[in-house]
Amino acid sequence: MAEAPVLSVQGLTTEFRIGGQWHAAVRDMDFQLARNETLALVGESGCGKSITALSIMGLIPKAAGRVARGRIEFEGRNLPDLDDLEMRKLRGDRIAMIFQEPMTSLNPVLTIGFQVAEVLRYHRDISASEAREKALAILEEVKIPSARQRLDDYPHQFSGGMRQRVMIAMALACQPQVLLADEPTTALDVTIQAQVLVLLAELKQRFGMSMIFISHNLGVVATIADRVAVMYAGEIVETAPVGELFDRPTHPYTEALMRSIPRVDRTSAELFAIPGQVPPISRMPQGCRYAPRCGLKQAICEQQSPPLEPLQGTATHFARCWVRAGGAA
Amino acid sequence: MLRFLIKRLLFAVPTLLAVLTVVFVVARIMPGDPAQVIMGDQASAEAIQALRARLGLDRPLWVQYFEFMGGALTGNWGSSMVTGRAVLGEVLNVLPFTIELTFVSVLVGAIIGVPLGVWSALHRNDTIDYVTRIGSLLGLSFPAFVMAIMLLLVFAIQLRWLPVISSGGDGSLADRAKHLVLPAANLGIIMAAYITRVTRSSMLEVLGEDYIRTAHAKGVPSMAVVWRHSLRNALIPVVTVVGLYLGILIGNSVLTEIVFNRPGLGKLIVGALTQRDYTMLQGLMVVYTFIIVVTNLLTDLTYGFIDPRVKYQ
Amino acid sequence: MSAADATAPAQDGGRARAMRQMLRALNANKTSWVGIVTMAVVILIAILAPVLTSHDPLEQNILDKLKGPSAEYVLGTDSYGRDIWARLVYGAQISLWIGTVSIAIAMIIGSIIGMIAGYFGGKLDLVIMQAMDVLLSFPSLILGLMVVAMLGPSIGNLIFAIALTAIPPFARIARAPTVSVKERDYIEACRALGYSHPRILVVHILPNIFPEILVMGSLWLATAIRVEASLSFIGLGVRPPTPTWGGMIREGFEHILDSAWLSIAPSIAILIVVFALNMIGDGLRDVVDPKLKGERGG
Repeated sequence: MAEAPVLSVQGLTTEFRIGGQWHAAVRDMDFQLARNETLALVGESGCGKSITALSIMGLIPKAAGRVARGRIEFEGRNLPDLDDLEMRKLRGDRIAMIFQEPMTSLNPVLTIGFQVAEVLRYHRDISASEAREKALAILEEVKIPSARQRLDDYPHQFSGGMRQRVMIAMALACQPQVLLADEPTTALDVTIQAQVLVLLAELKQRFGMSMIFISHNLGVVATIADRVAVMYAGEIVETAPVGELFDRPTHPYTEALMRSIPRVDRTSAELFAIPGQVPPISRMPQGCRYAPRCGLKQAICEQQSPPLEPLQGTATHFARCWVRAGGAA
Repeated sequence: MLRFLIKRLLFAVPTLLAVLTVVFVVARIMPGDPAQVIMGDQASAEAIQALRARLGLDRPLWVQYFEFMGGALTGNWGSSMVTGRAVLGEVLNVLPFTIELTFVSVLVGAIIGVPLGVWSALHRNDTIDYVTRIGSLLGLSFPAFVMAIMLLLVFAIQLRWLPVISSGGDGSLADRAKHLVLPAANLGIIMAAYITRVTRSSMLEVLGEDYIRTAHAKGVPSMAVVWRHSLRNALIPVVTVVGLYLGILIGNSVLTEIVFNRPGLGKLIVGALTQRDYTMLQGLMVVYTFIIVVTNLLTDLTYGFIDPRVKYQ
Repeated sequence: MSAADATAPAQDGGRARAMRQMLRALNANKTSWVGIVTMAVVILIAILAPVLTSHDPLEQNILDKLKGPSAEYVLGTDSYGRDIWARLVYGAQISLWIGTVSIAIAMIIGSIIGMIAGYFGGKLDLVIMQAMDVLLSFPSLILGLMVVAMLGPSIGNLIFAIALTAIPPFARIARAPTVSVKERDYIEACRALGYSHPRILVVHILPNIFPEILVMGSLWLATAIRVEASLSFIGLGVRPPTPTWGGMIREGFEHILDSAWLSIAPSIAILIVVFALNMIGDGLRDVVDPKLKGERGG
């Protein structure tokens, strides 16, 4: 990592108000995103993956949530310091995001041509017809068949996979530096999923983008990510280059996640389910957040929260575990 | 589109026939012989019999029924049992007043109600929202005639800005408008109260939708998110409610026409009811049914205008 | 919530849960409390009418006509010299009585119709709901006017007319949950156990639709009182000299130019009652229909 990171997140803590009190949904997140790198955020639903992405986008609903602490550095600026207007100008232009639900993420009463062109209208100083032509080009780029005829169609006239392509077209219209993809393939059929993943990887290369890819599916992550950060209960518990992580899962939670991937070389009887549940953010345990569900738990785990530390002999593999990574063992 | 219209109008025919049948039956089981009512207690039996024959009341019921249905459908609605004037003519005379009144009040209601509902939703749980919600609840608590009387008291009697009685005048456009202000404001304010509430709740729902988050993620300015991305979606349920509200609006227009002494269907129907004017009543029922059918059709057309997912087939 | 419904086979469970839901609803909402207190006061005044008034509402003192408020007549007198306060208080009795009885009837008949349509489904459902839709689309005031004009103006006929116009919404609101509840496992089980249809409907389905019916009830009670006042105002409601608010406004309206108070006093009374009922219904609806309540999080 000689080059300066494109995006650098330090100590990010995002809180939500529940019953009049602020509780952290994401706590002390640290990570960096290099140019043209794909970082995958992995974890069960509710672990704070999406909150992290929305915090970067400045889209945490103001009534109920806030970025309480931390820096999000991007293009020399700290994003939480920016005002609404500056943030709006950044969104969709320099940083873009695509969402999980292609069926509901497009506006049902606006044509897709309009919705794609709209991004360009707000971020580039171009005329309506120019924007439309550019929208057409980008829709062709994401391989919408006979795009020209379909510009004036409405979202309900497209299939789920095609809608997700439209979403991708919208996100890429301004050639952003960073793309945040929040479970972009989860809602799609398996074959469509593969097509969309290939498309994303291809476009990322072509545009030289960096990508944060959010998923709960390690199988998908293995095919697309350069580096993986495993999240649990609002924290990164382990992070490593993708090969390293799959070779040497260290945190007991990562291990458990690996074991719960269905694989052809195992029978379903061996499929593993992690016992217990993610603690609610209003009742986080004192020490390690995974301790209540952990098989390797020791006394210290329930008293003190472990730090995210590099494993011996590596500079790129970190884990947050007293037993496996810290000096406690 | 044209096929859809024709099909919808054809669908309305059975409803129209059913309502007409009900009207006929209801009119015949009303207590009291209409001839007796018209002639009064002093009339001789012969005179009443003669009138019955003239009104066709002495013929078998089924003959009367088919004559009534045929007449209703061909526009031959007979003449008023009380005034003797043609029912259709009487109705057509006052229909423009009622249509003008209801149309303007829907407009007033939408112009006040939609922005207020949006504003309230955007300031959810703020003082603004609270005041708007209480205000609109108060607005729809007003019986139409109560608000009409209040408006009359304040603007016509106390301030003398506007005429007390809405009929009459010299017939010029300005004069007609002046006579329309208070009645339309009356219906419009109550309508606005309904529209504000529906717009607010439907807007709140839309603001929570995924595509609104997408719009923000695209960097669309907040104003455009509200007016272009949210409002059109939020208006779909509003159209439904405005359509359903028609029944209340017609009832309220009757009351308004009475308070402001304004010509219209309302005054006609109250007169027909108190005087047992069956033919007039039948004609009015046909008109009301027709208005309802047409409004439902308009509502459906509006859906298509707002929501591209609606197809006319 | 739906998971809890599906596993609530006990008959008391359903009813208790419905009641708890209602209580929670009331606690949660300040406006509905304002409405409840206001209504309680109004009802109390109506009940204590003989104690709170010193004149008979029908007693005419032609010498005292159109008097302003005084120690003798708290709110003054009308054009027949009758005590306005007494007429208001006894008018409250009649308004509340007509409203409550007609809505209770509409609630019962409407729920039964809706439950039967939803429970048995098929053609019966189709025909019933079609009829309800036609009835619903017809202006209720016109329908009420027709019925009263047809049967003659009496309190009984007025109740009948208002109940008739209020049946369709209750049928509609009772039908939808019935359709979804009847598919649940425990209803199947009841049928397998040989429970009769009426028993299943009353014991197992009714508690599920009860909260929504009650919310509708409070909102429609407001409408009923408004319609009664409207009919009396038009002159096709309760016959004078019986004191009704609508009738008082009608009489007062004739003197609008010199004695506006005659129509203002009953107007305020109607407004207070309808507004209070709407506040109750609105507050209840907020909680029973949780669609707009949930806060979004991550």
